[in-house]
Amino acid sequence: MNIRRDPLGTVFPSGKGTWKQYQPDGQLSLLSVGAPDVDTRLRGGIARHGLHEFFGAAKTDSHAAAAFALLLALRLPESDAGIFWITGDRERQASGRLYPHGLSAMGGDPSKMLLVQTADLQAALRAAADSIRSKAAAAVILEAHGNARLIDLTSTRRLALAAAEAGVLTLLVRGDAVPMPSAASTRWQVKSAPSVPLPGNAPGFATFDISLLRHRGGTAPFAAKVTWDHATRSFYDAPLSGGLSAIVTGGEVDPASRQRA
Amino acid sequence: MRLVACDTEALALGLMPGTALADARARVPDLAVFGHDPAADMALLGWLADGCERYTPACMLDPPQSLLLDITGCEHLFGDETRLARDVRARLQRHGLSCRIALGATPDSAQAKAKYAARAISDLPVEALDGGDKVHKALRRAGLRSIGDLAIRPRKPLAARFGKSVVIRLARLLEEEDPRIIPRRSLPIIHVAQNFAEPISRTNDVLATIEMLAGRAALQLQERGQGGRRFEVRLFRSDGHVALLAIDTGGPTRDAALLMRLIRERIDALADPLDPGFGYDLIALEVPLAEVLANVQVGLETRVDTDAATAALIDRLSVRLGAQRVRQFHARQSHIPERAALERAAQSDAPKADWPKSAPDEPAMRPFRLFETPQPIEVTAGFPEGEPRSFRWRRHVHRVARVEGPERISPEWWRHARGYEPGNGSLTRDYYRVEDNEGRRFWLFRRGLYDEMERPLWYLHGIFA
Repeated sequence: MNIRRDPLGTVFPSGKGTWKQYQPDGQLSLLSVGAPDVDTRLRGGIARHGLHEFFGAAKTDSHAAAAFALLLALRLPESDAGIFWITGDRERQASGRLYPHGLSAMGGDPSKMLLVQTADLQAALRAAADSIRSKAAAAVILEAHGNARLIDLTSTRRLALAAAEAGVLTLLVRGDAVPMPSAASTRWQVKSAPSVPLPGNAPGFATFDISLLRHRGGTAPFAAKVTWDHATRSFYDAPLSGGLSAIVTGGEVDPASRQRA
Repeated sequence: MRLVACDTEALALGLMPGTALADARARVPDLAVFGHDPAADMALLGWLADGCERYTPACMLDPPQSLLLDITGCEHLFGDETRLARDVRARLQRHGLSCRIALGATPDSAQAKAKYAARAISDLPVEALDGGDKVHKALRRAGLRSIGDLAIRPRKPLAARFGKSVVIRLARLLEEEDPRIIPRRSLPIIHVAQNFAEPISRTNDVLATIEMLAGRAALQLQERGQGGRRFEVRLFRSDGHVALLAIDTGGPTRDAALLMRLIRERIDALADPLDPGFGYDLIALEVPLAEVLANVQVGLETRVDTDAATAALIDRLSVRLGAQRVRQFHARQSHIPERAALERAAQSDAPKADWPKSAPDEPAMRPFRLFETPQPIEVTAGFPEGEPRSFRWRRHVHRVARVEGPERISPEWWRHARGYEPGNGSLTRDYYRVEDNEGRRFWLFRRGLYDEMERPLWYLHGIFA
C-alpha cells in the first residue's frame, strides 16, 4: 500500500487529495489578513488554497460581504494570474456591476479581472469549478445570493477539493443567505462599520465588522474590526475610536482620530 | 391565379406553368393545388445545398430550382463524374425529389443543358441564350433555331446585330470562356473530411473522427505557420441533413486537444442535442479563418503558463455560455461615471488601460459597485442646495453620519449637436460620498442644479466598500 509519512510520524493514505483536506492548517500555505489581531487569532491567516464563505450580517450587508471577499483576494501577491468574478444574472441585477475605477482606487488592477455572468446558479457553479481547475486564476469569487438549494455540502466540497488541488483561493459570497452546512474552511459574517472620519467629517477608509462563525481548523469564533489600506493592500486593526467618533457630528473632529492608525 | 410550377404528371396532362388556375381546373377537375411559398422553396434549396457540400465546398444557389456545383478536382473521390451524378440522383430520390443533372465545362452550359434537357450544346434552343424575348424572336426570324446554328457563324456580325451580351453568353455556352461560379460561402483555408462506407452514429465514434480530423487540420496549420480562429465541423447525415458545429477561439490555435474540449462544450451546450438519425456518412472539418501563429517552445519548468490557461478557459466558457457572458474591463475617456468603463467580450481583445490609482492618504473616491440604472431615492437635505441628511432606499431609511461633496460632474455638452447651452440639454450631477450611521458607504447624486430645474431628483449610483 502506498503510504505517506510526514515528519511527525502521522500516517496519511495517499489517495488523490484525501489526506490534504484533513491535515492541520499549519502545514498549508496561509494568506494573512494583514491585521495583527486577526492573524494572531487565525494562527497566521486563512488557508490560501481553500474555500471560504462570506455572509452579510443583514440584508443590506451583502455588498459588504462582496467587498470584503474582493479585498481578501487583493491580498494575494501580485502575479500574472487574475481574479475571476462569477455571478448569476439575478445577483448582477440586484447588486449592480463591479466598477473598475473603484477597484483600481482600492488597489486592484481591473485589467486582471475576468467577469463571468451565467444565467443560473448551476452554470455558475460549473464555471467556478472549471475556473479553479484551469489554474488560470489566482482567486475565484463566486457570488450567489439568497438561499440556494444547489449550494450544499456536496457542491461546496467539490469546490473545496478543486481549490485545494489547484491551489486557488476560492471565495463564496453568499450575501443575504442563511448559513447552511458546507465544506468551506472558514465562514465569515461581514458588516460595514463606521469609518474613522477624515477632516471635515468625510467618510473614511473602508471598514468592516467581521466575525468568524466557523473554522474547520478549530479556531474559536471571534469578532474583529478591520480597515482596508489600499496603498499596502492590507487590512489593519481598526481603532475603537472609529465607533465612538460616530457620535461626533459637524465640523469638530477629534485630532487623535484624524490620524490613521 | 396562375400555376407557378407543375410536377411531371401535371406536365404529362398538358398543364404548364403560367396556365390560369380556372383553365387548369376545367381541364383536370380533380387537380391538387397548393399555395405558392417561395420562402419554403428557397429554404429547401438551401438545405439541399448544405447536403451537396459533401461533393464540393463550392456550391451556388440558382433560384428558383437549381443548384450549381463546381466539382473541379472532386469527381475522382467518387470514381468519375457519372458516378458522382448517380450518387446525387440516388440521394435526391430517397427524399422523393426528381432531378435533372447535366455536366458541363462551364456553369452556363451545365445550367442550360439541365434546363432544356439537352444532351449536346448544339441541340439547345436559342432561348438558352437568355437574351430576352426580342432577341430570341429576331434570331428565330433569321432562321437560327439552335445554338448549333449560331456556333458555326462568325461572331462579329452576330454581336453587331444582336448585341455583345449574346456573344458573351454564346461563348460561355460553347465552353470557350469559363466565368466560374460564386460559391455560397467563401472557400475555407483548410478542409479535411472523412467518408464512411457504413454510417456511424455513436457519439464517441463521431468525436473520435473529429479528433482525427482536428489532428490532420493541425498538421496543415503547422505547415502554414498558422492557427485557426474559427473551426466548423459539418456532420453529413446519410439522409441528407447537415449539422453544423462552429467554434470561435480568442486567439489562433492549432491544439487538437484544446479543440476537442471546445467541441465537447459546444455539443453539451446545444439547445437540441445532435440527432444522428441513421448515422453520419461524412464528417468534414473546415478552418475558414486563420492567423499567423509562431511555434512556441514549451518551458522546461513545470510552471503553469497562466496566459495560455486563461485563454483556454475564456474560450471554453465563451463556447458554453456565449461570448458576451465572459467579459473584461476596458477604460474609456469620459468623466461620466457609467461611461468611463465598459465591459467587452474577453475573446475580442485584451484590455490595456491605465486605471487611475487613488492617493495613499485618501480613500476610494469611486464606488466598487455601480448600479446599471441609478436607483431613485427620497432625500431629506438641510437646505435646497445642501448635502443629504437622510435618505430612503429600498424601504429602509439611512441617516447620514458623514458626507463629502458635492463633486460636480457636468454633462458632456460637446456631444450635443448645438453645443453648450446653459439651462438646456443634459443635467449637471452633484455627487456626494455618504456614510450612514451603521457604517454603510454610498455614492449619491442629485440630478440637476436648482437653477436648471425646479425639483431635482436624487439617485443612489454606487456602493463603496
